[in-house]
Amino acid sequence: MPAKIHIHATHRQFTSGLEVVAVEGNTVGECLNQLIKQFPEMEKALFAKKDKLLNNVEVYLNHASAYPNELVKPVKDGDEIHLVIMLAGG
Amino acid sequence: MLTPGERERYDRQIMIGEIGQEGQEKLKGSRVAIAGVGGLASPTSIYLTAAGIGMIRLIDHDQVTLSNLNRQILHWEEDIGRRKIDSARTKLKNLNQSVEIEAIAETITEDNVSQLVDGCDVIVDAMDNLPTRYILNRCAIEKNIPFFHGAVNGFEGRAMTILPGKTACLRCMYRGPVPQEKFPVIGVTPAVIGSIQATEVIKYLVGIGKLLTNRLLIYDGLRVAFSEFTVNKNPGCDHCGSPLTPSLSPGGERDG
Repeated sequence: MPAKIHIHATHRQFTSGLEVVAVEGNTVGECLNQLIKQFPEMEKALFAKKDKLLNNVEVYLNHASAYPNELVKPVKDGDEIHLVIMLAGG
Repeated sequence: MLTPGERERYDRQIMIGEIGQEGQEKLKGSRVAIAGVGGLASPTSIYLTAAGIGMIRLIDHDQVTLSNLNRQILHWEEDIGRRKIDSARTKLKNLNQSVEIEAIAETITEDNVSQLVDGCDVIVDAMDNLPTRYILNRCAIEKNIPFFHGAVNGFEGRAMTILPGKTACLRCMYRGPVPQEKFPVIGVTPAVIGSIQATEVIKYLVGIGKLLTNRLLIYDGLRVAFSEFTVNKNPGCDHCGSPLTPSLSPGGERDG
């Protein structure tokens, strides 16, 4: 069973409206690369440059923060990754 | 001690087993700082005033504008051009004369933040930007004052409660500055998040329930769904890590 990536509402325009995307990968970084292969526009939505997430992107693995070094965190089949955007309004 | 009038006024919440008369007396003896008097502070301050907090200190330098009114329900058309703290104080005093309202028209900075929140039991994050949130977060940790975070964007919001020295803080997942942008929002979103912040403040002050500590709550209004994520205290955090760094590194205090 592959891992699932939950796409933030503001990013679903880049995933054909999909809220959850199934990917294969041994790390969060590999999973995100798989996501970007399927939906290339997700790259600019997530990364400032190669292997550097945007500062406002938060990654949760199985409902726990993957910070720091999110991209190298190991992923097992069935794991769930949530991509969340930091909020600043009030 | 509660007066007969207070016992009548707060009867329905004193009836809540977890609050009781003892809890109501704790609320009456409490001092709450609310940083920002906009969308989040509107529900937070109204419900804390209604609940009988002893003193509420409002801090905001801004004036009411027409574009505030879709969400900042403390402020009305007649208040446009008025200082937000004055508009808010009028409404809150009309709601509950017995709550002391301190209104401070200042911009929160690293230099004045400690003095602005001095003597308060809790700090509510009702800001509209991340740099000031980090100033408050750091000050809350240094002064050991619980900090109640909330933020919104569009139909989405989030909340987390920070107990200095014990739980993850707002800075524990910090990766760097985020560009500041005008944010979209509709009033019902801060209504939900501000009410959650007020709930957390009441629970903390009375000493009941399970707080949103080490738990980031995310609210998706479009689906009406709540998600919860575990956030751990980061030993390397530049605000709450150990040892506590005495001052922010150059450029670290201002984001965006």
